[in-house]
Amino acid sequence: MIEINELGFSYPGQKGLFKDLSIELESGSITGLLGRNGAGKSTLLRLMTGLLFARSGSIKVLGHFPFRREVSFLNNVYFVPEEFTLPSIEIKKYIDSYASFYPNFDEELLNRLLMDFELDPANKLHRFSLGQKKKFQIAFALATRCRLLLLDEPTNGLDIPSKSLFRKIIAGSLDENQLVIISTHQARDIESIIDRIIILDEGRMIFKKTVSEISEKVSFITGTSEDLSRSIYSETVPGGYRHIIPKDHIETEVDIELLFNAVINGKTI
Amino acid sequence: MDSNDIFSVKRFLMLFRQSLTINMKTIAISVAGFFGLVFILLIYLQLTTGLSGWDNKDSFRVFVFLFFAIGLIYVGMAFPSFRSKGKSIAFLMFPSSTLEKYLLEFITRIIAFVVLMPLLFWIAANIEGAFIHLWSSSMKDHTFSFNEPVSKFFSRAPNEQWEIMAFIQGTILAFLAVFAGGAYFSKSPFLKTMFIIMLTGFGIFLYIHLLGKAFDIDTYGYRRTGILFIKHGNVGAGAFSVLAMIANLSLLAISWFSLKEKEV
Repeated sequence: MIEINELGFSYPGQKGLFKDLSIELESGSITGLLGRNGAGKSTLLRLMTGLLFARSGSIKVLGHFPFRREVSFLNNVYFVPEEFTLPSIEIKKYIDSYASFYPNFDEELLNRLLMDFELDPANKLHRFSLGQKKKFQIAFALATRCRLLLLDEPTNGLDIPSKSLFRKIIAGSLDENQLVIISTHQARDIESIIDRIIILDEGRMIFKKTVSEISEKVSFITGTSEDLSRSIYSETVPGGYRHIIPKDHIETEVDIELLFNAVINGKTI
Repeated sequence: MDSNDIFSVKRFLMLFRQSLTINMKTIAISVAGFFGLVFILLIYLQLTTGLSGWDNKDSFRVFVFLFFAIGLIYVGMAFPSFRSKGKSIAFLMFPSSTLEKYLLEFITRIIAFVVLMPLLFWIAANIEGAFIHLWSSSMKDHTFSFNEPVSKFFSRAPNEQWEIMAFIQGTILAFLAVFAGGAYFSKSPFLKTMFIIMLTGFGIFLYIHLLGKAFDIDTYGYRRTGILFIKHGNVGAGAFSVLAMIANLSLLAISWFSLKEKEV
């Protein structure tokens, strides 16, 4: 679905952000795109959507070159940026004016999601809080049934109940033909829904594995200093240590934050 | 949904309807504001200059002033989505073709203004005239009409026909310059465009002046005609028309590629 080959990109007057970056992604996954501030997560999403143009190399998404911004590409890709503006009209009018541009738009799904997010379709969008606007954007994005959904920091501005609702909704509204890429620095918010992790650092992809591949190799445990000898990576936490250890018989949840810190610190997982 | 990636009439009409839905409130406020402005401006000018001396020609002068003043500002605010990052992303990611987005902006900014503004002015000026006439019958022309000034402008001698073309091309040039500025600049496009126009105008006149001095051709009278070194008025207008037409095509290309290659 996404083929990035030897991508080179830099902002004018700045040193190169990406150099020879290559990534391939298939549909049927919710991928977490992680990286430190300035690692290029948002830039990579914008390159995938054709909002920025590669300086060298190539990007192909759904068989299209994104920079051409063809309609058949745009109506299959939905990007929810971190900063966005919605027009000052009612939800109903927004749906009437925008939905028909997306061939697979699922109005039933949208109504269900609006209900789940407790958003009244009769309300005007500009009266919503940032969190409510974000919830509407996410609900609309899912209802378009676009094959590629790109969410940049989707949980920013959401309160705690909305974050768990977001996870539930994302996990329950997708099919195997879709690919969702979530860029975030709040790894815990998406821990339970992603099935693949990509980590960017200094313009390079330093990690790309599925959650099951990670679980087959390592376990994430809370322990004591006695476990340090067998630990691949450790961090102190209140009351002890969090360790990444080679897989033994214990099946554990992937601790994305710990994994991220381990990878960033040069540990091989 | 039409799968045509370049242009689809159905999609364009949907885009047009969407633009109307989103901007309905702004359009209504703008039209009401324009009516109020014309009404107050005409009343003020008629009262200060004397009702009995006011005629159709005076109203037409007000129209010409407003046409260019409001028109250049309105067209200069083309591509309003480009003023913020969030709106730019939504605009560029919206599933309609670049040609459809460009045409919509061209029509709603330039064509709609050129067609609707005279109509709105005509309605407002006639209502205002009728209102004044109720109060005082001393005003010479209380109705407003475009017939006289427009037919006078177009009924020129055959050797002056190029002047009509020069005026039309010059007007298009002014509108396209600020339109291209709206597409090219993200922040304060109107001011930046005006600055560039002034700089370009200054550069051209400086160049002609220095060229005239260098070749000592002032005696040929380029100063009198003002258009390069052409002495005859009609030929000068013709030369200006051709140059303006080339500039207009270039500005269309600039605005098109600014949209097509916009990065956010």
